[in-house]
Amino acid sequence: MGPLIVNEIISQNTNLLLAFFIGIGFGFVLEQAGFSSSRKLAGMFYGYDATVLKVFFTGAITAALGLLFFSLFGWIEMDYVFVNPTYLGSTIVGGIVMGLGFILGGFCPGTSFCGAAIGKIDALVFVGGLFIGIFIFAEGFPLWQNLYLSGFMGDITISKALNISPGLFVFLLILVAVGMFWVAEWAEKKFPREEY
Amino acid sequence: METNFQQVRKTRYMNPYVAGVLLGLVVLAANFIAGRGVGASGAVKSTIVAAVETIAPQHAANATFYKDYGESHGGNPLNSWLVYQMLGVLVGAFLSGIIAHRMKWKVEHSPKITSKRRLIFALMGGILFGFGSQLGRGCTSGSALSGMAVLSLQGFISMAAIFGTAFTFAYFFRKNWI
Amino acid sequence: MFSKLNFRVILSALLILLGLIIAAVPENTTKPYKLTSGQMLEEIKSGTQFVQPDQVADMLINKDPYLQLIDVRSPEEFDQFHLPGAINVPLDNILSDQWTDILDQDVKMNVLYSNGTTHSNEAWMLIRQLGYGNNYVLEGGLNYWVETIMNPASPVSTNPGDEFARYDFRKGAGMALGAGAVAPSQQEGTSSAPKPTIATKIKKKKVASGGCS
Repeated sequence: MGPLIVNEIISQNTNLLLAFFIGIGFGFVLEQAGFSSSRKLAGMFYGYDATVLKVFFTGAITAALGLLFFSLFGWIEMDYVFVNPTYLGSTIVGGIVMGLGFILGGFCPGTSFCGAAIGKIDALVFVGGLFIGIFIFAEGFPLWQNLYLSGFMGDITISKALNISPGLFVFLLILVAVGMFWVAEWAEKKFPREEY
Repeated sequence: METNFQQVRKTRYMNPYVAGVLLGLVVLAANFIAGRGVGASGAVKSTIVAAVETIAPQHAANATFYKDYGESHGGNPLNSWLVYQMLGVLVGAFLSGIIAHRMKWKVEHSPKITSKRRLIFALMGGILFGFGSQLGRGCTSGSALSGMAVLSLQGFISMAAIFGTAFTFAYFFRKNWI
Repeated sequence: MFSKLNFRVILSALLILLGLIIAAVPENTTKPYKLTSGQMLEEIKSGTQFVQPDQVADMLINKDPYLQLIDVRSPEEFDQFHLPGAINVPLDNILSDQWTDILDQDVKMNVLYSNGTTHSNEAWMLIRQLGYGNNYVLEGGLNYWVETIMNPASPVSTNPGDEFARYDFRKGAGMALGAGAVAPSQQEGTSSAPKPTIATKIKKKKVASGGCS
C-alpha cells in the first residue's frame, strides 16, 4: 500500500499538497513543544531543560516503531522508503560543524523557521545565516567534494551494521531512551530552570 | 512572581512526551505518503539553487554543485516536496504561536548578554549549521530524526555527532545561555 | 489528562511492550511481499515477465547498464555458448545463497534465459515466489534468439514498413552481436530501429528521494 506516492496511489500534485499539510503538523508540534525558543533548546546542553532529548527520542522511536509495525502488517513496503545513504566521513564532519552551529546559534534549521514564524528575531537571523552557510557550501563545492563523498557505505541501516534484527534494535533503543528520560527528569529537578 | 500579565496569558508548552509522540506520527505520515522523512535545510538549498539559476544562469550551468542539483532533480527547484513542507512548517508554527499567545517580536537571550551579541552568535550558528547540513546531507530533521526513524546508520551517526559536539563545547558558551 | 509523571510512565511501559513485540516477531515475516500463490497466478497469467529479444538486443548494443543477462543452463552449455555479458546461474542451485545478491536486488533488470523458456521460466517462478523483483525471462529463449536476431527472415514485400525496419534492426543487431557478416550500411538500421513494439514494464529502482537533498 504505502508509500502512497511510489505505488502511484496519489498523484505528484497531491503529494506536494500533502507535504504542505505534513509541514503544518511538523511546525505546529515543534512550536507547541517549545522548540521555537533557543534558550529552551540550548537548555539541553546544560541540563536545565531536557525537552529536546525527550521530544526528539520519543519522536524517533514512535516513527521507527510505527514503520516496523506498518511493514509487519504489509501497509508499507520498506524497500521503497528512502533510507539516508551513509557517508561516514562527511556525516561525522558535517555533524561536528552542525553541533558547533547548534551551541552558538541555539537553533537547528527546522526550529529556527518555527521561531521566525512567531517573531523571534534571533531565529530570523539564524535563518539568514543558514542561507549564507549553504551558499558558501555551494560556491566552494569543488573544495570539499572529496570530503563530501568520503566513506560511502550505501543505504545501510544500523541494525544491518550491527547484524541484529531491526525489531531487536528498536527494542534496545527504547530501553536506552527510557533510561535517558529518567536521567533527564532527575537532571531537570537538580538544575534550576525557568520557563522562557 | 509569575503573576504578571504576560505570564498569565502565555499558555504552557505541551508535555514533551505527548509532543514527541505527535512528532513521530508526523514523520510516520511523511514516510507512508511520500516514502521519505521530514526535512528543513533542503528547502533552503532549493531556494538558493532557484535564486542562483535566476540571477546568474551562466554560473548555475557551470558550477558543479548547481549542475549536479539540476541533473538529479530537474524542473523548478522551488517545486519540491521540502519547499512545500517548509511553507507548511511556517504556517503550523504561526498557528501554534497564535493559539498559545506567543506571537511577539523579540530577541531571546540570556540576561547576561546583549541582544547584539545574541544576534551575532545566531548568525554564526546559522552559517555553521547551514554549511554542516550540506556536508552531512541533512540537518537534525532530515538526517538525524528522519534517518533514525528508518534506522539508517547515517541518522544515528549524525545525531551522535551533532549532540556530542554541542555537549562538548557547551561549557565554553555557557554565558550565552545561562 | 495525565499528570506529567504518569504520562511518562504509561508511555515508557507502552513503548517497551511494543518494542518487545516487534523484537519477538520473526524477522522474515516483516518482509511484506513474499507472493501468495494467487498473486503468482495473476503474474503468470499476465505474462509480464517476458522480454522480447529485440529489446534485449537493443539494450546489449547500447550497453545499457541496467541489463543483466543470466544464463540458467548448465556450466558446460554456458561454456559452449552464451550471450555477451551473461553470468551463469545454473537452475540446479539457483536457491544457493551465493546468488542472492544478484537475484534479489532492485537496481538492474535481470533477464533469465535458457535454450527454450521452460527452465528460465521455472527459475523465474522460484525466485519470484521469494519476492525478488526485477527478474524477467527472455521470450522464446536462445532458440528464438538465434532465429530472430542472428538469422532474421526477410519480410515479404507486402509487409508494412515497420516490418522492414524491424528486419533491418535485427540484421544490424545480429551483426553487432556476432552473427554473419552484413554490409556496413545496414548497421545504421540500428539507430532508426523502432523500439520493441511489445511494451514490457521495466521497473527501475523507484525508491522515493528524500533526506535534505
